[in-house]
Amino acid sequence: MQVELSRRKFLQGTVALSVAGGSAMSATNLFASTESPEKKLSITTKTGAAKEVKEIPTLCEMCVNKCAAIARVEDGIVTKLDPNPMFPKSKNMLCPRGNAGIQALYDPDRLKYPMIRTGEKGEGKFKRVTWDEAFRYITEKTVKILDEEEDNRSTFLFCAGEGMAEHTFQTFYQAFGSSNWLNHSSICLQTVASAYGVTLGAYPQSDLENAEYIIMAGANRAEAIVTPDTMDIFKRTKGRGAKMVCIDPRFTNTAAKADQWLAINPGTDLAFVLALTYVVLDEELYDKAYVEKYFNDFEAYRSHILTNGYTPEWAEPITNIKAKEIYQIAREFMAHAPKAIYYPGRRSTFAKSDFQLRRAMAIFQALSGGIDTKGGLVFGGKIEIEGHESLMPLYDKAKERGVVKTEAGYADCAVVSGGGSWLAWRNNFLEGKMPYSVRGMFCYKHNPMQNMPNTKKTAEMLKKMELVVCIDTMPSDTVMYADVVLPECTYLERTDPVKTFGGTEPALAQRNKVVEPMFESKPVNEILRGLTKHLSRPLFEVTKKYDSEVQDALTEEDEEAYYEEEFDMTRMYSHDQEVLNAHAVHAHEGAAEALKKYGIYYPKMDQYYKQLSANEHQYYPEKEKFYSVGEGRPQTPSGKVECNLANMSSKGIDGMPTWREEYRFSVPEGKFRLMTGRHAQYTQSGTSNNIVLHDLMPENYIWINKRVAKERGIAFGDKVEVASSTGSTVIRAYPTEKIAPNQVFFIHGFGAESSALTWAYKNGGSDNAVIEDVLEPVYGAAAMHETNVEIRKV
Amino acid sequence: MAEAVKKQGIKEFITSIPYNKIGLKDLVSFEKTPRNIIIAIITFAFLVSFAVGVTLYLMHGHHAYNVTREHPWGLLIAVYIFFVVSSTGLCIVGSLGDVFGFKEYEMISKRAIFGSIVTIMAGFAVIAFEIGHPVTMLIYNVLTPGFTSAIWWMGTLYGLYLTFMIIEFVFLLKHDMRMARIFGLTGLLVGLAAHSNLGGVFGFLNARTISNGVFYPTYFILTAFITGIFIAFIMMGIRYRLSFPENAKRMLTNLAKIQGLLIAILIFFVTWKMLTDIYGGMPNRSEVALHILGSWTFWAEVVLAMVIPLLIILKSKGSAVLAMFWASLGGMVGVFFMRYNLVHDTQLKPLQMMKVREYQLAPEWVHYFPSAAEIMISLGGLGLCILLYYVGTKLFNLDEEAH
Amino acid sequence: MARYGMALDYKNCINCKACEVACKEENGILMGADKHRIWVGVKEIKGEYPLLDIVSSSFEPSQCQHCDSAPCQEVCPTNATYYDDNGVVRVDPDKCILCSYCMNACPYDARYVDDRTMTVDKCNFCSDTRLARGETTTACQATCPTKVRTFGDLDDPESEISVLLRTREHFSLKSHLGTKPKLFYLT
Ligand SMILES: Nc1nc2c(c(=O)[nH]1)N[C@H]1C(S)=C(S)[C@@H](COP(=O)(O)OP(=O)(O)OC[C@H]3O[C@@H](n4cnc5c(=O)[nH]c(N)nc54)[C@H](O)[C@@H]3O)O[C@H]1N2
Ligand SMILES: Nc1nc2c(c(=O)[nH]1)N[C@H]1C(S)=C(S)[C@@H](COP(=O)(O)OP(=O)(O)OC[C@H]3O[C@@H](n4cnc5c(=O)[nH]c(N)nc54)[C@H](O)[C@@H]3O)O[C@H]1N2
Ligand code: SF4
Ligand code: SF4
Ligand code: SF4
Ligand code: SF4
Ligand code: SF4
Ligand SMILES: [Mo]
Repeated sequence: MQVELSRRKFLQGTVALSVAGGSAMSATNLFASTESPEKKLSITTKTGAAKEVKEIPTLCEMCVNKCAAIARVEDGIVTKLDPNPMFPKSKNMLCPRGNAGIQALYDPDRLKYPMIRTGEKGEGKFKRVTWDEAFRYITEKTVKILDEEEDNRSTFLFCAGEGMAEHTFQTFYQAFGSSNWLNHSSICLQTVASAYGVTLGAYPQSDLENAEYIIMAGANRAEAIVTPDTMDIFKRTKGRGAKMVCIDPRFTNTAAKADQWLAINPGTDLAFVLALTYVVLDEELYDKAYVEKYFNDFEAYRSHILTNGYTPEWAEPITNIKAKEIYQIAREFMAHAPKAIYYPGRRSTFAKSDFQLRRAMAIFQALSGGIDTKGGLVFGGKIEIEGHESLMPLYDKAKERGVVKTEAGYADCAVVSGGGSWLAWRNNFLEGKMPYSVRGMFCYKHNPMQNMPNTKKTAEMLKKMELVVCIDTMPSDTVMYADVVLPECTYLERTDPVKTFGGTEPALAQRNKVVEPMFESKPVNEILRGLTKHLSRPLFEVTKKYDSEVQDALTEEDEEAYYEEEFDMTRMYSHDQEVLNAHAVHAHEGAAEALKKYGIYYPKMDQYYKQLSANEHQYYPEKEKFYSVGEGRPQTPSGKVECNLANMSSKGIDGMPTWREEYRFSVPEGKFRLMTGRHAQYTQSGTSNNIVLHDLMPENYIWINKRVAKERGIAFGDKVEVASSTGSTVIRAYPTEKIAPNQVFFIHGFGAESSALTWAYKNGGSDNAVIEDVLEPVYGAAAMHETNVEIRKV
Repeated sequence: MAEAVKKQGIKEFITSIPYNKIGLKDLVSFEKTPRNIIIAIITFAFLVSFAVGVTLYLMHGHHAYNVTREHPWGLLIAVYIFFVVSSTGLCIVGSLGDVFGFKEYEMISKRAIFGSIVTIMAGFAVIAFEIGHPVTMLIYNVLTPGFTSAIWWMGTLYGLYLTFMIIEFVFLLKHDMRMARIFGLTGLLVGLAAHSNLGGVFGFLNARTISNGVFYPTYFILTAFITGIFIAFIMMGIRYRLSFPENAKRMLTNLAKIQGLLIAILIFFVTWKMLTDIYGGMPNRSEVALHILGSWTFWAEVVLAMVIPLLIILKSKGSAVLAMFWASLGGMVGVFFMRYNLVHDTQLKPLQMMKVREYQLAPEWVHYFPSAAEIMISLGGLGLCILLYYVGTKLFNLDEEAH
Repeated sequence: MARYGMALDYKNCINCKACEVACKEENGILMGADKHRIWVGVKEIKGEYPLLDIVSSSFEPSQCQHCDSAPCQEVCPTNATYYDDNGVVRVDPDKCILCSYCMNACPYDARYVDDRTMTVDKCNFCSDTRLARGETTTACQATCPTKVRTFGDLDDPESEISVLLRTREHFSLKSHLGTKPKLFYLT
């Protein structure tokens, strides 16, 4: 039974609690706002009963999209988040998670105070400390380690999830001087971003508002919401302006909205695209003028495709898509060119072939001429803003990234990008393959425990680290392994760095603070201000001790001035975010004010922005939109589409997308290929404790083919154990015809192990407990759908 | 009444109602046969369960019940209907003698009218805990009456009916047969109106094809009469401890014959309802009808309330009054299922046939099973009924007055 | 005085349920699977993998239909359910006796019990929140990513909804019951 608890009441409770202080609380219930069972109660409030009402423009941070919102604050309490219609990227919408953002602010489980671990790692026992105590503890340990490691700054790992203040944290990493930076890219979009980058010069956007033909493959825009794509496309499918072909092994909500759905074998998209390309080249359907002007190595590619015989007939048994449908799609696509899009996708690394797949997609798209054009892939415009101040001292003793180098490239993968390879890094660390010891890590807004394949190994890694510092808002699974926990305030309690959003309708957007931070939480900018105040000078002392270059420099320079100039980490955090933002946009007149008032700015906004109807808004007049910025010219250094990457060949990577037998989809009899992905009401692992979202979908279920389930006596709601060589998880069954007999699927982000999460704890199945750590060979991204599992009714 | 009251003055009118002066001692001084003791214990247990059920309700509100968005009406509604149908039935039986002047039925009139008062009071006691806000009801039924609402008419008319029944009973006690007849007739008519409105509560539901239409308003009157006769058998059986004097036997035999006819008509009704439900070409309705045919509660209703009594009556041409006593007890169980089925079957088919949550099976049938609190309050209603009736037999002379 | 209605371009709906959360947060709706004013019905797809019958699956966003001839109103014994000046079918919690008759009578399963007041609640077109503040969109309309809903005055021939209904084909749910819904599904 659930009875309402008004937010007001909740707040009173928490205010009373923070006055009473932590002394009354034991180490174990630090997470709980009250010890009363009221924790289980729901918290929604009706709007409109208050004396004082404020509406503050902000940006959503419930996922990566950063949609514009307006927070309604009634008597100091956020009672509603409404869409802000002024932002061209989010076009007057908030998704379910965006609406439920209030619950992130008022989640009774959220982190409230700095804490230091008292129990075993993973056990979740902490003591509450003051910010000073936390900073002192970190400083002591860091200095000790660096002293022992003779100022090898790379002995610390820095990792971060995506977010508006990721950069603020990154400046800390840079100033610290480590070379070990890992972010979400190698478990997210690394291969697609890089493949389009090396082929077309950039990871482009899709002009879905104007496209007439769309191949939506391996992307589930109805459930994995990406703005403005999700808003643009679904008004136009089902015979209403654009034909959408959905290629997905599962029948997703996107498939339900598509005009045609093709159930492809997982991991075989490359064969499908090669066959499409074959048809286009063989039948000479491509845009000859475009190819002439903007292609490098076209002939080589052409003969590569044709001589290898990548025909639709060849692809049919590999992909499970009929040859006749491949012909049809290739012809239709080119008939609609250049208003045709092979959608690049986002979370990209499903299989080992992914980099090659995305390259083949980019080239296929380019063959249609649909690059930098209305209705095709677009690079768009961008409003320049001034960068943030950063500090990058040179530490002589700092070592290179901790990934083992081989002659061809790297032992684990051919290229290591800025975001690194999380899996390779972790595994090398565990296997003792690091060229030096890494002993500590700083983790910001990131939950590797739940988001990286093979949870056991991640736990092991976190256990081995001597100092783990987590900056988070929630007691996540990763936080459970931290030595020091630093509570950041939620996005509604802080102003974040202003950001520029490129595209056909570029704009600036800013997250403005809606309410003051609750409890003792702070924005990361202020956390780092405090931390660097403690840390900066002692670290410099360590450097002075070991770094001969610094020693040399000091013989000539005044130490104090030199320190302030080159090593004073506090400098970057001395200003409040509001001041930094005003500075960042000072070149644009009126921008700072507009960003405060509307949350949004772009030149001539006052003239351009119009409400057209209750549901429609104009941001830019049609002729002012940035459909084409270089008349179709790719943004590669050569200005050409790169069909053949010679430098890749030297690293043992196919220079041109090539099908390899090992890419074939195969599942041993009786096993299932496991896939994971998104749901519209959840964001990865980050929202699993959100009560309102939980209410919409209390847990994840495993999709299993109905007929197979029946054979095995598995009925709806039965608990099954999903197991692989990595581990196992228990989850309820959802028998359905929307999935193939040898495949299973469940939504990512459930099954948390942190007992401090009231609703998420052991709720549903955890995919990464089961997914094996398979590396994609080019960028070392995690190939998430290469695991076969066993299913057993429990 | 005005006349009578005028003659006597209200105070005197009331104080001159004949009743036996009894104390608590008299109430517990029944003959301590094992059977009586068992009945006493059961009644007491029912009353205790009533108290517990009501306490649960007061503590948890409707959460103490298993009613849901999909099945908003549960056991208590069925039990309420059970009692008010019983009441109407007893009123009809009682009216045979003192309203319509069939002399041989006069011997049961007073008892039946008293029974009708007791049962409707038990019904009200039960429904008071089903309606979320009974006090609000009393206020706004008057302030903002919903004239288009069958529930409003049903409730209001039953309120009036109860008043008339009590007045009729008083005149019966006072042996003022003329006044009793006038109030009896009015009460009967109001009762029948109320009762058909209760049928209308279901009949007006155009969202529920299985109940929608004229069937229930008429069916309710028919089954009320049948129920009244069942209870008449039970009352007389208890009154005469199963050894019936000749005049009682005669009356009961005639009642049994009427009952036979009524049950035959009922079977005819139900058969045609089923046939039209199933073959009437309305997909939603026929699915529900087939589902009903597959439920044991429906067959409990048919066997207990129709088949067994009818067979006994046919076989003995109505003269097997002892067998009919037992069959009537079973019949009342059947009638309970009849009411329960009516309420439940109306709500069998979900109004929302689509999935509204990600992981759920598409709704097919609405499931319901009463909660402990609902069961306890329902049994309590029965306990209340027995207790009040027992007190009545002590307090008043319920037998026919000698002419 | 207006006569409010809503047109739903339901084929746009991606079943994200932003509308349901927006409604909960705006109107202070309780948690619990049954406690919703608004919902999206899903027809499960027919066929066997991979030969699925793509047109058999659909998403049908819905809420109270604000029937012009509302069974829920007709059956209410205390007139707790009433038509307000804008033709919106509303419940006055002070008068509701929780007889649940309306829940049984509404053909659309639009009603549920609010556990705080123990009275019946349902969509009221945000009448006591947004409309009361003078806003012109409902919470569910404003937030929708694919802009399924258009809310407005049916009596005003110039209103967006009137124009839509004049120019686009549409249907209403269970129209054979004669409830005259003011929710219109655009085809
Ligand atoms: N098996 C499997 N694994 C996957 C995926 C998959 O589909 N399947 N998806 C992959 C993809 S695409 C991605 S992008 C990654 C995502 O992986 P992560 O970047 O780890 O994302 P989240 O799971 O959202 O976790 C974010 C963490 O940040 C915290 N947080 C939220 N808001 C704030 C804030 O304002 N400040 C701070 N300091 N912390 C905050 C949350 O509490 C949470 O602990 O996961 C990848 N892993
Ligand atoms: N609601 C919501 N929206 C989100 C997020 C969220 O957590 N929740 N996260 C955001 C983030 S960080 C990201 S990266 C994006 C992710 O956005 P997407 O990449 O679109 O989302 P996913 O659900 O990970 O998966 C894509 C689809 O690929 C299918 N698939 C699996 N294997 C194959 C294959 O081999 N071939 C083909 N053709 N299809 C395959 C899966 O069945 C799934 O439907 O979403 C963003 N938007
Ligand atoms: S897509 Fe949803 S969760 Fe993500 S930023 Fe936009 S509103 Fe927030
Ligand atoms: S918000 Fe719009 S798209 Fe999402 S479920 Fe509601 S109606 Fe459908
Ligand atoms: S949809 Fe239901 S609740 Fe709404 S007006 Fe119609 S009958 Fe009443
Ligand atoms: S439950 Fe309330 S609103 Fe519904 S019919 Fe009864 S009194 Fe009227
Ligand atoms: S109109 Fe308002 S009350 Fe009705 S469903 Fe939409 S948000 Fe809820
Ligand atoms: Mo991602």
